[in-house]
Amino acid sequence: MEDLRLVNVTKKFDNFIAVDSIDLEIKQGEFFSFLGPSGCGKTTLLRMIAGFEIPTEGNIFIGDTDISKLPPYKRPVNTIFQNYSLFPHISIYDNIAFGLKVKKVHKSEIKDRVQQMLKLVKMEAHKSKFPNQLSGGQKQRIAIARALINEPKVLLLDEPLAALDLKLRQHMLIELMNIHDAVGITFLYVTHDQSEALNIADRLAIMNKGSFAQVGMPDDVYERPETIFAAYFIGDTNLIEGRVVEIHDEFATVVCHTDSEHEIEIDTTYHRQPVLDEVITLSLRPEKIAISRRPPKRKDDFNILQGVIEDILYGGTHTQYIVKVGAHFLRVFQQHKKVYIDELSLDWEEHVYLYWHDTDTHIIFETDKNKVNSENIMKTIRRK
Amino acid sequence: MERYTNNEITKIEKDNKSSLILTTPFLIWITFFFLIPYLIVIFYSVLTPGVYDIKFIFSLESWKAAFSSSYLDSITHSLVMSLLTTIITILIGFPVAYVIANSSKRKQNLFIVLIIIPFWTNFIIRIFSWKIFLSAQGLLNNALIYFGLIDEPLMLLRTNGAVLLVMVYVYLPYMILPIYSVLEKFNYSLLEASMDLGANEIRSFFKITLPLSMEGIFAGSILVFIPALGTYIIPQLVGHQSSAFIGQLITFKVKSIPRNWPLASALSFILLLLVAVILFTGYNYYKQGLRRK
Amino acid sequence: MTYQSNIKRFFDGFNIVIFTLILLFLYIPILILIIYSFNDSKIISGWSGFTFKYYKILWENENLKNAFLNSLLVASISTIISTTIGLITALGLENRYFKAKKFIQGIIFLPLVMPDILMGISIAMLFSFLRFPMGRMTVIIAHITFCVSYTIIVIQSRLKGFDHTLQEAAMDLGANKTKFFWKVKFPIILPGILAAALLAFTLSLDDFIITFFSTGRGFNTLPIYVESAIRRGSVTTINALSTIMILLTLFITIISKPIRKMII
Repeated sequence: MEDLRLVNVTKKFDNFIAVDSIDLEIKQGEFFSFLGPSGCGKTTLLRMIAGFEIPTEGNIFIGDTDISKLPPYKRPVNTIFQNYSLFPHISIYDNIAFGLKVKKVHKSEIKDRVQQMLKLVKMEAHKSKFPNQLSGGQKQRIAIARALINEPKVLLLDEPLAALDLKLRQHMLIELMNIHDAVGITFLYVTHDQSEALNIADRLAIMNKGSFAQVGMPDDVYERPETIFAAYFIGDTNLIEGRVVEIHDEFATVVCHTDSEHEIEIDTTYHRQPVLDEVITLSLRPEKIAISRRPPKRKDDFNILQGVIEDILYGGTHTQYIVKVGAHFLRVFQQHKKVYIDELSLDWEEHVYLYWHDTDTHIIFETDKNKVNSENIMKTIRRK
Repeated sequence: MERYTNNEITKIEKDNKSSLILTTPFLIWITFFFLIPYLIVIFYSVLTPGVYDIKFIFSLESWKAAFSSSYLDSITHSLVMSLLTTIITILIGFPVAYVIANSSKRKQNLFIVLIIIPFWTNFIIRIFSWKIFLSAQGLLNNALIYFGLIDEPLMLLRTNGAVLLVMVYVYLPYMILPIYSVLEKFNYSLLEASMDLGANEIRSFFKITLPLSMEGIFAGSILVFIPALGTYIIPQLVGHQSSAFIGQLITFKVKSIPRNWPLASALSFILLLLVAVILFTGYNYYKQGLRRK
Repeated sequence: MTYQSNIKRFFDGFNIVIFTLILLFLYIPILILIIYSFNDSKIISGWSGFTFKYYKILWENENLKNAFLNSLLVASISTIISTTIGLITALGLENRYFKAKKFIQGIIFLPLVMPDILMGISIAMLFSFLRFPMGRMTVIIAHITFCVSYTIIVIQSRLKGFDHTLQEAAMDLGANKTKFFWKVKFPIILPGILAAALLAFTLSLDDFIITFFSTGRGFNTLPIYVESAIRRGSVTTINALSTIMILLTLFITIISKPIRKMII
């Protein structure tokens, strides 16, 4: 097998630790994504795999070969650069042929393989053009062809879609998945765009400050975040700190309060059993919460809270309500569907019921030390 | 994206050693043929002149001579003429640059090419063509007589006016181009902002456009003033002998027999100092300008 | 329609006026020169008929031909050497961590702001001090000295726009540093190198004063020959010579663009 293995990979710049002892295994043929905010170290990690940076510590293996000290031109990996980095002085054909030419592959073979690549990326008609005659999306395809023609073991993609506009981005995303299916090469995709990563990757790693906040399949990471950072970085969430007061077979009860006056009780299912009296954080996605003037008819397995609408933000696909429950502010996303007709036009300061299923609450065994959640919510509330 | 993009691979290649190796030929060349020669100029200025060459006997005579009134007058004359040239090229160059920068992109390129083309013709020939134009039997005098404006040919050539005219002619592009390159990048929304904030157009022009184009005017002034200060061939061809530029005097001392190299050296050194002072003041002014930005 | 300021409209109105005046100012002396070169008259006043005789006189003038060939020789050699030094210096200065960069950049600046006459005098004194006979060799050395700063700056401006991620791209595709330089970097900066060479060539051809100081008896370049002819007063042949030179430069400028395009 030609799996990509990172063992204790660390990169320091002067006193700054960009990548902090990363261990990771990526299976051959997998579509893997590094997701994280700018400066989290994901690009540095990618560049170490490409060979543009040498790890301060640790090793990078492809199969059993240690490639961590090899120069980029001796590694069986190729990169799609953020700005494509096509050579402006040679034609599209020569750009794609570049890698084979420096390896002194026979001319007729180069011709065949370039043709094959042009077909793969659907750019046969443009082979004698020059890079500056192409649109962003076309350049992107050429960059992909130029890398894939070398038959790398791993293809590295550094925010490849960042320069494209939204519609084209969505289109290229599908295209990339098709190409991945066609060639069966490991794709390593770096992005700061969560929806790209969720859409495209078989597995992804969320990076923060040089370490992985979580590694897993997209739905796993979204539904069951293991760290506050992971919960907060992907999608929106309500984070509520609380103390575990009851533990049952199926669920646990958590008491959350900010001051002595206000206390709310929330039931939650768990994947790992918490300890009694443990202080944990609950993550509750805003779209999982229903909002209504009336309490729900069904009550079992539901958490039901009462609150007052503090703010309403119209958002196209959904409306965001900020509801004050005790001393907490909860964010709720409500889609505009005619079937919710009786719930249309909820108003400011209206008293509402919030309810959701126990299984939609998720325990994170961490406390929100930096109060990212509450501070962020306060920022979204308009001053009156 | 990432804050730390310093690339180790390129860093290895871009170490001080290879940079030093690559720049060494230039450094050797410039030291030997540019810097050391100025030391020799200083050295020669304290020697004794010979008829054809130089005698290695210490003497301060040439410095005494250099500060005599006739040479000081010549230096003053050079300074005044160069200053006038600079001012006139600003007055002509700014409107021209402004008009060019405000035309369409295609016109801009055409105008710039039209302005540069004459300056691809040989320097001496350009000056010579003015000599022909201004001479007593030249076209200008003939035309003026023909139209009855004058009866006798005017003495146009061999005057300070002719020198000034030709200097402006020769150095004008050095003023237009830097001003143009600043105005071309000028952000016109600043003017709109200024007017939006209540300044009228003339006020906006003096408060926004002019200060922001100072960088170009300044660069142009350096490019005009310094060569004008050292010019030899322009006053030599169209000027009058009684008002010689410092460059002419230096040249005579080197080229005509009996030679006086020590005096030429002393005068050159004074000219060098003037240039250094101008550049230094200019540089400080420029740095202050940068800090204000 | 955007709001047009009165100042802008004022300038727009004078657009044509300003341009006509400035172009007249720039071109009239040269046009007169060209016309007079065909004037069959000993003195430069009135028109006495069309003639090619000055061109014939020129053609038969051996000294002139020599001066012309000397100019070409000096310009060619000094262009090649100054562009080569310029290229490697510019490459060396690309490294922004190079400790001496600021210092060297300052030195490069000096010859550009130095009045020609000072460069001429100082280099003449160097050769006099060394008892080195002045002639072709010394002229070439002097020309390289004043051209090299220009070539460095022109090539540097081309290198400035060079996209350094291309180096990573090339290495990623299997090219080592040497291959990267010759297959990617050199062809991309070639237009800058050619522009530098063209500038050096033009500066060398055009120079009078530095050549005047650095040459010895018997070695004339074209500007030196022209100046001495003017001093001698053989004005009419100079008109013809100037015309040829003007047409030649015009020709070079017109063809230089397509040629540059062809090479690249």
